Amino acid sequence: MKFGKKMVISLFAALTVLTVASIAQAALPAGFDDNEIRIGQWGPQTGPAAPWGSVARGSKLLFDIVNEEGGIHGRKIKYFLRDDMYNPAQTVAVVKELVERQGVFAFVGGVGSATGMAVKDYLAANKIVWVSPSAADKEFTQPLNPYLFAQYPLYKDEASILAKYIVEKLKTKKIGMLYQNDAYGKDGLEGVKERLATYKMSLVAEIPVEPTEKDFASQILRLKNSGAETVLMYVSPTAAVITLKTAANLGFKPQWVSSNTLSDYPLMFKISGGLWEGVITGAFSESPDSKSPLMTKYRDAAKRLTPQERWGVFYYAGIAFADPLVEALKRVGRNLSTDALLKALNSFKDYQTIGPKVNWTEKQHQGTDSVQILKCGPGASYIMLQDWMTNDLATWKK
Amino acid sequence: MPFGQLLVEGLAIGACYGLFATAVVIVYKTSEVVNFAQGEMAMFSSFVAFHILTVYQWPFWLAFVITMVFSILLGVLIEYLFLRPAKHPSILGMIVITLGAEMLLMGLAGWKWGAEQKFFSLPLNPSVTYEPVKGMIVTNWAIAVFAVASVIMLLLYVFFKYTKLGVAMRATQQNKHAAKIMGIRTERVFSIAWGFSSLIGAVAGMFFASRATLDPAFMMEPFLRAFAAAVLGGLMSIPGVIIGGGLMGLIENFFGFYWPSWKPIVAFIVIILVLCVRPSGLFAKHYVKKV
Repeated sequence: MKFGKKMVISLFAALTVLTVASIAQAALPAGFDDNEIRIGQWGPQTGPAAPWGSVARGSKLLFDIVNEEGGIHGRKIKYFLRDDMYNPAQTVAVVKELVERQGVFAFVGGVGSATGMAVKDYLAANKIVWVSPSAADKEFTQPLNPYLFAQYPLYKDEASILAKYIVEKLKTKKIGMLYQNDAYGKDGLEGVKERLATYKMSLVAEIPVEPTEKDFASQILRLKNSGAETVLMYVSPTAAVITLKTAANLGFKPQWVSSNTLSDYPLMFKISGGLWEGVITGAFSESPDSKSPLMTKYRDAAKRLTPQERWGVFYYAGIAFADPLVEALKRVGRNLSTDALLKALNSFKDYQTIGPKVNWTEKQHQGTDSVQILKCGPGASYIMLQDWMTNDLATWKK
Repeated sequence: MPFGQLLVEGLAIGACYGLFATAVVIVYKTSEVVNFAQGEMAMFSSFVAFHILTVYQWPFWLAFVITMVFSILLGVLIEYLFLRPAKHPSILGMIVITLGAEMLLMGLAGWKWGAEQKFFSLPLNPSVTYEPVKGMIVTNWAIAVFAVASVIMLLLYVFFKYTKLGVAMRATQQNKHAAKIMGIRTERVFSIAWGFSSLIGAVAGMFFASRATLDPAFMMEPFLRAFAAAVLGGLMSIPGVIIGGGLMGLIENFFGFYWPSWKPIVAFIVIILVLCVRPSGLFAKHYVKKV
């Protein structure tokens, strides 16, 4: 039985390698012509991760705006959005279809760490440029992948900045942490510990939870018993709601702090029945009610072109992720080629739209380590606590 | 160690697992089929309650009654539409059919209500808690779970022991053909079992949803735990699964307090150990496969 399983797996692996190899040899359709540039993105539109899929629809809004304004150097953007249901096997299928059948020139965004990992090498092997994966994973840029440009701040950097804020501004001595037992949670834990070490402090409790768990009573009691005054939670939206409900029931009221993944306050406020008020989170783009000229422009365009969409952080993150690609295509000019696009992207210096400042060089493709710190106010409003701040401890910059 | 608090929390979530496991056991008792759609049936019924509460904004008691009626119909319908038409079904075949029903319900819920999490609450004031002993907080949620689980247990006990239909159901489980010869309409018995099971599942589903969030996948994990509790209790005995659920909740909470990373698996390890010693569970009376 065991032998049979192994055989099947190795056979499958061999077949996969063969298919990928044979495709890499075949000539791909050109990614653009005189009239259009083809750009693709995957993102869950159905299934459990569908709420994050609005990223992919947000990018579409930007391309619609660009096309309305006449396109880029005479070329319109043709956008392909594919639903991969947050399933890496599906991601591989839709990406291959876009590359080999539709002739996509570049990818933008793409929700998910595991989904991106599944196609990262395939895209690089086919020299397809991929800008701004919609996930923070250091393996996207370390080691350097010449075709992949990331701007999502790493969870570790964000956690480090949040920990600094907790110690210096909130002045809490007893800090606890609840983290999801995977790369997301562990990266966050690492960042917090690294920062606390500089103050010669340590966490009073570090409690892991499995992504699928639904009962957190014992974990919350551990945190309560530790006397933590501030608790960082690097967990999923559902887990965060369970955490707050359980803590409220058990009479535990610390200051909750979380990552940008939970910065969609209207959603979190709604699904937690209002318990989200007072929670502090990081943020990787301006708040939805920001009055900056660019945010106002995008918000008005969204009202006009996609009135059915909620103006949530993940929706307009799709715009922020696509901005650098549009900018690079503009900088390249009429003589478009993959090499020219790479050259343009590699020269980004302090480029900023509605997110943090982005810097890309030939040697460094992790574009930023900046986050803002916000707090959920009454009625799911956004209160700015700290503007863009970089992580002075980030090791990858050195 | 907050012993009292862990005890209360463990028993409360355990009662919830036990309640849901009862739903699994009722179907298993009559037809020896493990219904893998059980969790999603409960999920779907909870969504119906959510829909009535938020879209029509009817009072909770009315939404509850309608949901109960709906859940019974859902159970009967799934049995009638999916399991009954199967010709000469094997147990495995039936289980696969329930898996299909699970996928179908999840897809339908995702299509109707979307994948985004929803807020679901029972009319229990979360800010009112009781502290009978210092350091031991009992919430309204826990009290409601204990009360509802006890009432349902009592009703089931009376039903299976003293009513004609209950006896007919037990007879069908013991020997379908003999029961048929004795004039029991076994097909109707199956329908009723599915309806009952769906109803109890829906009640447990609403308890789970109010503790977390409501989304199409929210019952997958509780189902696994409830199923494990049912196996621990012996799959056949209703008091057994309640005790199984309680044990499960207590083990999880006490181990989870000291070794949080072991929390999700420790109960399963205990179950494997128990099954090594007592292959048919702690409280099963019958384990000889009928020929």
